[in-house]
Amino acid sequence: MTSLSATIQDVFNEPGCGKNANKSEAERKKGCTKQLQPGGAAGGCAFDGAKIALQPLTDVAHLVHGPIACEGNSWDNRGARSSGSNLWRTGFTTDINETDVVFGGEKRLFKAIREIIEKYDPPAVFVYQTCVPAMTGDDINAVCKAAKEKFGKPVIPVNSPGFVGPKNLGNKLAGEALLEHVIGTEEPEYTTPYDLNIIGEYNLAGELWQVKPLLDELGIRIFASISGDGRYKDVASSHRAKAAMMVCSKAMINVARKMEERYGIPFFEGSFYGIEDSSDSLREIARLLIERGAPAELMDRTEAVIAREEAKAWAAIAKYKPRFKGKKVLLITGGVKSWSVVAALQEAGLELVGTSVKKSTKEDKERIKELMGQDAHMIEDMTPREMYKMLKDAKADIMLSGGRSQFIALKASMPWLDINQERHHAYMGYVGMVKLVEEIDKALYNPMWEQVRKPAPWDRAGESWQDRAMAQMDAEAAALAADPVAAEAARRAKKICHCKSVSLGAIEDAIAAQGLTTVEGVRLATDASGGCGACAVRVEEILASAAAEPAPIPALQAAE
Amino acid sequence: MTQNAEHVLDHFELFRGPEYQQMLANKKKMFENPRDPAEVERVREWAKTPEYRELNFAREALTVNPAKACQPLGAVFVAVGFEGTIPFVHGSQGCVAYYRSHFSRHFKEPTSCVSSSMTEDAAVFGGLNNMIDGLANTYAMYKPKMIAVSTTCMAEVIGDDLNAFIKTSKEKGSVPEEFDVPFAHTPAFVGSHITGYDNAMKGVLEHFWDGKARTVPALERVPNESINFLGGFDGYTVGNLREIKRIFDLMGVEYTILGDNSDVWDTPTDGEFRMYDGGTTLEAAANAVHAKATFSMQEFCTEKTLPFIANHGQETVAFNHPIGVAGTDKFLMEVARITGKEIPEELAKERGRLVDAIADSSAHIHGKKFAIYGDPDLCMGLAAFLLELGAEPTHVLATNGNKDWAAKMQQLFDSSPFGANCHAYPGKDLWHMRSLLFTEPVDFLIGNTYGKYLDRDTGTPLIRIGFPIFDRHHHHRRPVWGYQGGMNVLITILDKIFDEIDANTNVPSKTDYSFDIIR
Repeated sequence: MTSLSATIQDVFNEPGCGKNANKSEAERKKGCTKQLQPGGAAGGCAFDGAKIALQPLTDVAHLVHGPIACEGNSWDNRGARSSGSNLWRTGFTTDINETDVVFGGEKRLFKAIREIIEKYDPPAVFVYQTCVPAMTGDDINAVCKAAKEKFGKPVIPVNSPGFVGPKNLGNKLAGEALLEHVIGTEEPEYTTPYDLNIIGEYNLAGELWQVKPLLDELGIRIFASISGDGRYKDVASSHRAKAAMMVCSKAMINVARKMEERYGIPFFEGSFYGIEDSSDSLREIARLLIERGAPAELMDRTEAVIAREEAKAWAAIAKYKPRFKGKKVLLITGGVKSWSVVAALQEAGLELVGTSVKKSTKEDKERIKELMGQDAHMIEDMTPREMYKMLKDAKADIMLSGGRSQFIALKASMPWLDINQERHHAYMGYVGMVKLVEEIDKALYNPMWEQVRKPAPWDRAGESWQDRAMAQMDAEAAALAADPVAAEAARRAKKICHCKSVSLGAIEDAIAAQGLTTVEGVRLATDASGGCGACAVRVEEILASAAAEPAPIPALQAAE
Repeated sequence: MTQNAEHVLDHFELFRGPEYQQMLANKKKMFENPRDPAEVERVREWAKTPEYRELNFAREALTVNPAKACQPLGAVFVAVGFEGTIPFVHGSQGCVAYYRSHFSRHFKEPTSCVSSSMTEDAAVFGGLNNMIDGLANTYAMYKPKMIAVSTTCMAEVIGDDLNAFIKTSKEKGSVPEEFDVPFAHTPAFVGSHITGYDNAMKGVLEHFWDGKARTVPALERVPNESINFLGGFDGYTVGNLREIKRIFDLMGVEYTILGDNSDVWDTPTDGEFRMYDGGTTLEAAANAVHAKATFSMQEFCTEKTLPFIANHGQETVAFNHPIGVAGTDKFLMEVARITGKEIPEELAKERGRLVDAIADSSAHIHGKKFAIYGDPDLCMGLAAFLLELGAEPTHVLATNGNKDWAAKMQQLFDSSPFGANCHAYPGKDLWHMRSLLFTEPVDFLIGNTYGKYLDRDTGTPLIRIGFPIFDRHHHHRRPVWGYQGGMNVLITILDKIFDEIDANTNVPSKTDYSFDIIR
């Protein structure tokens, strides 16, 4: 049993992670723990990340060991779907109290596990560690081990207390828990040459089911789904699959890669968002299965299904193209969706004015460039105010984003569509794409926006707060335009590294003064990218433009 | 025995017991000449067809499940809105019992109202004596400040002349000469309760403004800065009038609510019975002639009253029961225009909040189809709000709607792309609506309590907005006017939408994979 810190270190060394691969040895040691800015308002915690990654496993009991806060807030908060057991939706927690904090909560945890097994008899109990018992020293690994021996049931410790880092780290730690305690612990009843694992897919709004009929038609069996609509036994025996598809590239890359390493299961990273992505993914699945011994005719059948489904979807989408002509979209979301949705939206005839790459890896960014061209507007950390201005300036007709950004769109009186986890429509696969387009159409043409955009009829022009805010921003911009010195100062003041608070000017000066050529060099000189490392890509871009023209470099303005 | 004294079952449970089930089955079998169930089923299905709809719409004489009430109901509604006023309905007492119970069931408050208790001989010889005795008794027993007289059909059929009768009664000493007895002829065989509202309101104003049936000189209008407000016949009168007063107070408007029944239908339980409470003072009703302008929230409730007021030199403005952002905007802008008052920040914020709430959840309403029935103005206000939300008010039906209303509805439909497939049905009843719901199904039905049968029969979920609401309590306390009222309507609609989603996803292990916490 490895210690938590060793596991975390192991995750940081993940070679399958593009971002990690970009880092120096020293940086990697520090890990990808993005130091959350004290006073900042962003982000979940590692516990949250672990819970959302595993919670869609439907037939196990998810027991949160901690005070009520942790389960109280995470209970049943995602729109995953189950085709069977609903046990995953039952909120189990030890709900520890003061006594447990003082004397330790291990006994309570053990009893809670016993009660779950006695009353619910699930195939397994997942025990989630949280900050408080981790700090008071409850050894959940030991408790789980004892419980497992005593009750003869798998009791899986998920050691990802909130304080160890952000949500993404929690996703990976959840993956580690599966790798260490679940995968490979059971044997399947039978196997076929068509057995596929799907990793990092959560069946939100039941979207996996929009793809499953196609796989069923091709005779491809979803052997284990990790974790959307997943079953414990399937995951436990998933090491016997022939191939794997990795869906959310950042969340569980460690699971896919280590399963390849340990069990020789090849995987590819794909997506079912967008028509072409869906087709590519089906092809990849067929290719990998054929490589592992499935008959070659699988590819012919796959191509036939692709041709049929594409034709249907294109036809359904085509009728929206005239309605979307000239409509611009701003995409604010994380990770995989930023590039996979780009393609989808372009297919519908929408123009993308920008996409956020806050949670995207270097590879994600490359894909965006492929799709949107070299001058793709990749928005790193867009502040709400910048987002607001961008929307307000009518550079975008609609914003697609997660639930938490919706309010900015609303205040900016802009159409908005939720494409993250709390949405209620499934956008996966060919039909999902049609659904997305339909929803965008509904959002764009909702008469409510007219109401939202119009000021109150008694407002005099220029007096509304929006007008005043815009006037203020315009005035600031105008002042800078009129004053090259101030403009330069503002440009140079732009924060590049948020963790270490390093400005563009400081980096440029360091590059110029010391003739730096590497990210590592910049980091040593300025500390930039010494925190979470997310800005390493931007530092590279600064280095590149410094090399191209030693004169002042145009600032990488959000959306500009 | 299923029933026993130790544990008395109510009707929900009792008649489901085996004895009763057996008894009812036997009764049906032996005495009721039961039809072949297959035949019953066939007819039931046939009544859902377009063929049946055509026959249904070809109906000429028969009204089935009307969505309207009679004139005197509207007259009583008006009367209780004036200070210390008792409604006196000249005609049969059975009718009066209806009005009282109708209002009491809706407002959950007693409604005081008397009748001249006409009987057969009165029908033959005229109701004068009933009027004389009735006014005297009412005055003596209930000590009103005013008696507002209206009529039932019985008095109208024999042609009783209220003006003359009241004059004679006063001569005979039923009530003092100077006592206020406004009147209106309100036969139920003409129009509906909204017509009765109109006639009774006009009757009261005419009484005060035009010389109290020629007993005093008519009032000379000396225009001031005040405005008058007419709510029209409104099931939400308690909440609405309070909201309107709050809005006017916020704006600093001088106003008179003509017919303020918001207190008498919402008296506190504190040990005191209030036969009369609140209401427009008689002095204010008289002084209302001097106002700068009169606002009517329901055009079709004030078709005669507004021209009457306009003839006295006031500007009049009519709305169609405005609900939602645009409707409230228009209302407030008119108030601001006429009074010259600013719209205060507080209302601007309320507007912003309603817009925000609409934006937050309109995705659930957008694109949904609705059927609406009710009074003409309410239908129009609701339809306008739905169009604003991107919903389609597919069928809009008003039993008491006329051709003018239908034309206005069509204008409203034409003003929005969402109105393209919508139709107005004037003069139709709820049995027509039943056919519409079967042949052109919609997602939701908006109407009064009687819509629950349509809900049950056609499976169209009913959103209760209208009058009367008998089977839900206290809705009348919440405004539907103003931005806050729009918020209430929005929430009412959304609640039903989400209830439906839940109801469609709650079968364990079957549909509950979508039985979500977050909607």
